[in-house]
Amino acid sequence: MKVKYLIEKIEGEAELEFDFKNGLVDNVNIYFPFYRGIEEILKNRDAMDALVITPRVCGICNHAHLIASVRAIENGLNKAGINIDLTQKAISLREFTLSCEIVQSHFKWFYLVALPQLLNLDRMKCPDNYILKASWASTNIVKALAIFSGQWPHASYAVPGGVSCDPTYEDIIQAESLVDEVIRFVENELIGMNIDEYHKRKEISNIKGDMAIMFGMLDKHNMKIKGKSYDRFAVFGEHPIFQTGQYNKKYSNDIDFSHIEEHPQHNSKAKSVTYKDMCYEVGPLARAIMTKNDFMLNLHDKYKDSVLTRVYARLDETIKLLVHIKSLLANLNVKELSCTLANMPKALEADGVGMVEAARGSLIHQSIIKDGKIQKYNIITPTQWNLSSGTQKEAGIAAQAIKGSVSIEEATFIFRTFDVCSVCTTH
Amino acid sequence: MNDYSFTKKECDMGKDTMESVKKLFTTQSAKVDTNRGGEYYTDLYETCRKRLDELKALPVVNNKLDFQETIMDEGLDRRDFLKWASATTAMLMLPASFTPLVAEAAQVMNRIPVVWIELSDCAGNSEALLRSDGPKIDKIVLDIISLEFHETLQAAAGHQAEKQLEEAIELFKGKYLLFVEGAVPLGMDGQYGTIGAKAETFKDHLLRLANGAAAVIAVGSCATYGGIPAAAPNPTQSVGVMDVVSGKPIINIPACPANPSNMVGVVLHYVLTGKIPELDSLLRPKFAFGYRIHDNCERRAHFDAGEYVEEWGDNGAKNNFCLYKMGCKGPMTFNNCSIVRYNEAVNWPIGVGRGCIGCSEPDFWDKYAYERPMANANIKAPTGGVEKTVDEFGLALLTAAGIGIGIHAVASAVAGKKNSEKDA
Repeated sequence: MKVKYLIEKIEGEAELEFDFKNGLVDNVNIYFPFYRGIEEILKNRDAMDALVITPRVCGICNHAHLIASVRAIENGLNKAGINIDLTQKAISLREFTLSCEIVQSHFKWFYLVALPQLLNLDRMKCPDNYILKASWASTNIVKALAIFSGQWPHASYAVPGGVSCDPTYEDIIQAESLVDEVIRFVENELIGMNIDEYHKRKEISNIKGDMAIMFGMLDKHNMKIKGKSYDRFAVFGEHPIFQTGQYNKKYSNDIDFSHIEEHPQHNSKAKSVTYKDMCYEVGPLARAIMTKNDFMLNLHDKYKDSVLTRVYARLDETIKLLVHIKSLLANLNVKELSCTLANMPKALEADGVGMVEAARGSLIHQSIIKDGKIQKYNIITPTQWNLSSGTQKEAGIAAQAIKGSVSIEEATFIFRTFDVCSVCTTH
Repeated sequence: MNDYSFTKKECDMGKDTMESVKKLFTTQSAKVDTNRGGEYYTDLYETCRKRLDELKALPVVNNKLDFQETIMDEGLDRRDFLKWASATTAMLMLPASFTPLVAEAAQVMNRIPVVWIELSDCAGNSEALLRSDGPKIDKIVLDIISLEFHETLQAAAGHQAEKQLEEAIELFKGKYLLFVEGAVPLGMDGQYGTIGAKAETFKDHLLRLANGAAAVIAVGSCATYGGIPAAAPNPTQSVGVMDVVSGKPIINIPACPANPSNMVGVVLHYVLTGKIPELDSLLRPKFAFGYRIHDNCERRAHFDAGEYVEEWGDNGAKNNFCLYKMGCKGPMTFNNCSIVRYNEAVNWPIGVGRGCIGCSEPDFWDKYAYERPMANANIKAPTGGVEKTVDEFGLALLTAAGIGIGIHAVASAVAGKKNSEKDA
């Protein structure tokens, strides 16, 4: 029996076409009815135009797009023999803003998507204050971001060679206090304990607050065993608290851009993407697996890549990033240079790749520049990795995870644990 | 150092246009009229008073959140609220005596139903408005605006949501404000973007909802002018709302993302007066788009003094000098970012040393693009038309202002050099 179902609240829509067999989902096709043609628009433009156009791919992870396009140009310059050495200050500031963006996205996913959808499974109404909580927490972390980036969404403060801002101690103190407020929010509302206690937890059941509500409900709906995919993970973007590499039964820290391949999909402008001809999951769970912390490995041993592990990884990452960005601010040396490349070389010839860890996983930009103009620009978004229908050989990551679901509600919840975004997937 | 200079022809043209630009910005019609005389405001006050009383008598459309309670939740007191009300009164270019009315209007905003739809967009304006931006009280006011339909915020999803939308547009026929985010793709019979289970094209969806709206508000540069999707070669043949909808009042709030303060301003103005605010020729509210970024820029003094950033990370950058030579489009861009700033006013692009990219002007993706200095950008300066106003002339003349300013920038740099030579 074939059933079509429309999914909303994902910065656009997705259509899932389920194939039910004996009351269980046997197969699913994922289709995004949307297209803007950003890559076509970038063609023949000034190389630097990518920095203002690519962030507009997505209103949620726009900053990751900015950093990816800057890294692509820098990588191209380096390959062309123009050495770019970022100062630690520029690196830290970019990392800070990028991490803030991941954190705000996780808050929104948790309070605006995951909790209401879970409640929906039980036909329960979502309390209004979830919206206020999401809005409060993400507003504050984004304010800290905007102190350095000028605005969010759609900042363009990163330039090849560094950043354009030159923060003072006052800016840093302001940002620190905002981060502290958000950490207090996490302690009081999200996990119901202070961060030190959280680090000492032995079991998921030790955690309190809204996260406990989440895990209680996941448990009730048997999400410890549901939503499993291929247990294959990849992390491409460099970030000091994540390890790049891939996992497919065994760990490997070698990861090579040249093994990535995009495939057009029937009936959709969104392309699927494979690494060495296989689908890989990207995102918080992939990052947690590659970074190998004991708690996470334990969880993974027990529950593999189930919904529970995936959700836990996203929330744990939120806390790790908050702790990390506090130390970034504390160690920021304002006396260093913000930007080390004064001007872009004229008639630039470059071929570069920029890889970044965004909220939903690895984001990849590839730009080929000739005579200062973009010859070809290719964007591979995290949601393309996770949310395609798959290839000829195998179903996509989310499609595989949905198989075996007992109802459409359950299937769409599992789908959403990948943090769906229509505008990114199609661009 | 940026290597660009003006040709003699450009300089001559500059002299010409400098005069015309001066006239342009001092002619009466180009000015934003902030004082219309006592009689006008007395009348307006009466109208607003009556309107508010009428609204108060109406039932609350959607009493999701109680206003007083919400304010308490956010830890704000009455005093903060009144502070916000007086700032907003000033932003709407009303006399201070209107402050209590604005405060009242904020509290009856839940009598005006709002429907918000997303077309070919990136969700950036929703993000800016509903989740992450805007002075604190604006945000709360938006929480209590009766959002009858917003895909992301409403609890319902799927068929349930579609049903809710249909009910809302039937129930509030002719009364709701329709906010539109995103461009309208016309290519391939509209198949580049469809909505709902029946796969209604964005264009049909928009026309159907606009039909029953009191006014249509295009939020962001995509909804206003087509924005990014409409950038050359416009693969999806996207256009803005005003190119598709006719026979309805349209208000454009461009910028990428549009500033939440301006969205709130428009709604408040409508609540208060029952009318849409005064618009310019591009249908932008004058209270927000009546001035250039350059007019109120915090770095303006450096422009006047001829002190510029010449390269990323140079001494000028460290000293927050003017970004004009790095390609800042502030002098040609009409918007109030330099006053209201972004993200609860913590900062704005020029505050972090990145010039304005002119995101609230038409076709900025193609004409302005990256921070290419004006002289290198392919923008034609217009000739003649001294008497024409900003509104009639639109973008073209603003570019002339750019050339005029360019002359100043070159002249000041030369002057600066001479001084340093003397010193040496």
